[in-house]
Amino acid sequence: MIKKDEQIDQDLRKFIKNLGYIAGGTALLATVPWLQSFTPEKLKEIRNEKTRIALIGTGSRGQYHIHNLLKIPHVEIVALCDNYSPNLKAASELCPKAKTYTDYKKMLESKEIDGVIISTPLNWHSPMVLDSLAADKHTFCEKAMALTMGECKAIYEAYQKTDKVLYFGMQRLFDEKYIKSLQMIHSGVIGDIVGMRCHWFRNNDWRRPVPAPHLERSINWRLYKASSAGLMTELATHQLEVSNWALKRIPDSVVGMGDIVFWKDGREVYDSVSLTYHYKNGVKTTYESLIANKFNGMGEQVLGNKGTMELAKGEYFFEYAKPAAGILQLINQVEQQIFDNIPVAGPSWVPEIATEHETNYVVEGKININSGLSMTGAYKDGSEELIASFCQAAITGEKAKNIVEECYCSTILCLMGNQAMDEQRKIDFPEEYKIPYLNF
Amino acid sequence: MDSCYCNYYESSSLFHGSFLDIMGTRFDIVTVGGTKTVSESLWNEIISELVRLDKMLNRYDKESDITLINARAVYAPVKVTPEMWNILSNCRQYYDMTCGLFDITLKDFSQVYLNESDKSVFFLQDNISFDFGGYAKGYAMEKIKALLRFKIDNAFVNFGNSSILGLGHHPFGNYWSVSIENPYQAGEVLGTLEISNNALSTSGNMPSNPKHIIHPISGEYIEKRQIVCVVTPNSVEAEILSTTLMIANDKEKADILSRFQVNDIRIYNTGE
Repeated sequence: MIKKDEQIDQDLRKFIKNLGYIAGGTALLATVPWLQSFTPEKLKEIRNEKTRIALIGTGSRGQYHIHNLLKIPHVEIVALCDNYSPNLKAASELCPKAKTYTDYKKMLESKEIDGVIISTPLNWHSPMVLDSLAADKHTFCEKAMALTMGECKAIYEAYQKTDKVLYFGMQRLFDEKYIKSLQMIHSGVIGDIVGMRCHWFRNNDWRRPVPAPHLERSINWRLYKASSAGLMTELATHQLEVSNWALKRIPDSVVGMGDIVFWKDGREVYDSVSLTYHYKNGVKTTYESLIANKFNGMGEQVLGNKGTMELAKGEYFFEYAKPAAGILQLINQVEQQIFDNIPVAGPSWVPEIATEHETNYVVEGKININSGLSMTGAYKDGSEELIASFCQAAITGEKAKNIVEECYCSTILCLMGNQAMDEQRKIDFPEEYKIPYLNF
Repeated sequence: MDSCYCNYYESSSLFHGSFLDIMGTRFDIVTVGGTKTVSESLWNEIISELVRLDKMLNRYDKESDITLINARAVYAPVKVTPEMWNILSNCRQYYDMTCGLFDITLKDFSQVYLNESDKSVFFLQDNISFDFGGYAKGYAMEKIKALLRFKIDNAFVNFGNSSILGLGHHPFGNYWSVSIENPYQAGEVLGTLEISNNALSTSGNMPSNPKHIIHPISGEYIEKRQIVCVVTPNSVEAEILSTTLMIANDKEKADILSRFQVNDIRIYNTGE
């Protein structure tokens, strides 16, 4: 019987097992190097240890993390920091033993903290991540990486020098249906990738209630350029990350157009974006996001010459139907030069449905599909596994492979996209921001 | 999805063509020994022929020849094309050869007047219509056989599992070996048939489709759990025999079989 408070960590182990992990084996996890440290054997090693976690930013996302952290046995939440007192109070009620701070620098001075989780507006990511690493804390920061390319580069360089663990909120890397889909794509199930289509549609103003006018810019930080890069960094980061993961490449250029079409309420960031990212091999990823129509929801389609993978739904489709079982056996016999029965005869075969695209599922059984509508976090989208992994790494000190690089590249691409839309021209991936990771 | 696709396997010069939605079922052909060019060009001819025949013989197609005849022949004689005339005469001949059990009206073919002089058809009763369900696939198979002649020696054609044509032999055997599974018991093989330059037709009921064979004289559905397999050189006759033997009594069976060349017959009783 699993105790409820061990649930999340059990989930992480179960998740690793579901991916086909066999004790002692490394072959499967080689395709997902960032998961290599989270095997059941490794969990036993840290069974009697605890990591002391502090949170900077205790708004909706911070509180979402707290709920998950409270379920992890080897985590102790020791400190909370926010400069907005209603959020700090709400978080404090969830974990009353934690010390509270309004100045994060003061909090980072504490020697009682092993790891820091940052869920703050984008403009704060860079100073907080750099300060946290400088204060010798293992650090987890929400995506995107930072507000500017220069800040991203500074974080990337700090990461090269530090011996601390650094994570970013790239939860698709921890989502079973994404991992399995990508493994299938890389094994050639849908053939060569010839294109990608990503979109994220919502129909709401993307606002939070503001109790007093002077709080507008800090509460609705997503809408202003000083604190946000808009739809690109808030939503597109995840999808461009997946696009690169699928193609094992980084785009070399982007064109796009962005406008404020519907929510003309004083906001500064686009509410409608359409972009095309170009990879050196000619493959293009189209990206669309609108927040005044939600009909299409959220999705990432990987288009192959033999099939299509709908990543967000964990579904895939073949361009052509597979040969019927009996005929397939005959073909295999001839190919292998064997004579055998062809098991096909029977009363007339009646098609069950009109020939439409037959749906195939990446993960068997019921899966959770993220509609993309939640502004806090979707159920079972990998976020829980991601935070559990970080907490384990905060004990072992093992750096996670690929996560920083994936976040760095997708954030730079988002910022390039904004630049392309702002300046209405094609933007090439700047040489000075290229890192030794994947192919450009 | 495209309803047709094909694939050529270079290493074994095997061609596979598949048509997923034709005459109410699925069509597969595997040919061995032809070049890619020859195989693909034959495949295009086969597709055109199947589409043409479906357009002519499918009573569920509102614009097919047969739909027109069914709609008009009640009111006045309808002149038909030479090919349709041949088909109807052929069906009448098989009606006579099967004690009236092979009946494309599913009711009473004697109430159809076929006028040889102007090649017209007239229904003498107002509730008569044609249904080529038990004929069209066999007819199509014969047409395909003609298309393949002198071009491909070894071919295996599967038209909805119930109509199979084996030309020549399996490239690694002396014939095509076809096994039949019990539709009521997955995995249980009822038997295996050897075919070479022969057609195999299978009739019977299935759990998913228990009411589709009708006795033309009594008008009742044949619901027994029986599978009838017939191997004959001619695809049309294989079709006609597998269906009529499913509904014939013992005397009728003997009568019918005395009039056809049959190479193999299997009757499986698959339980209640």
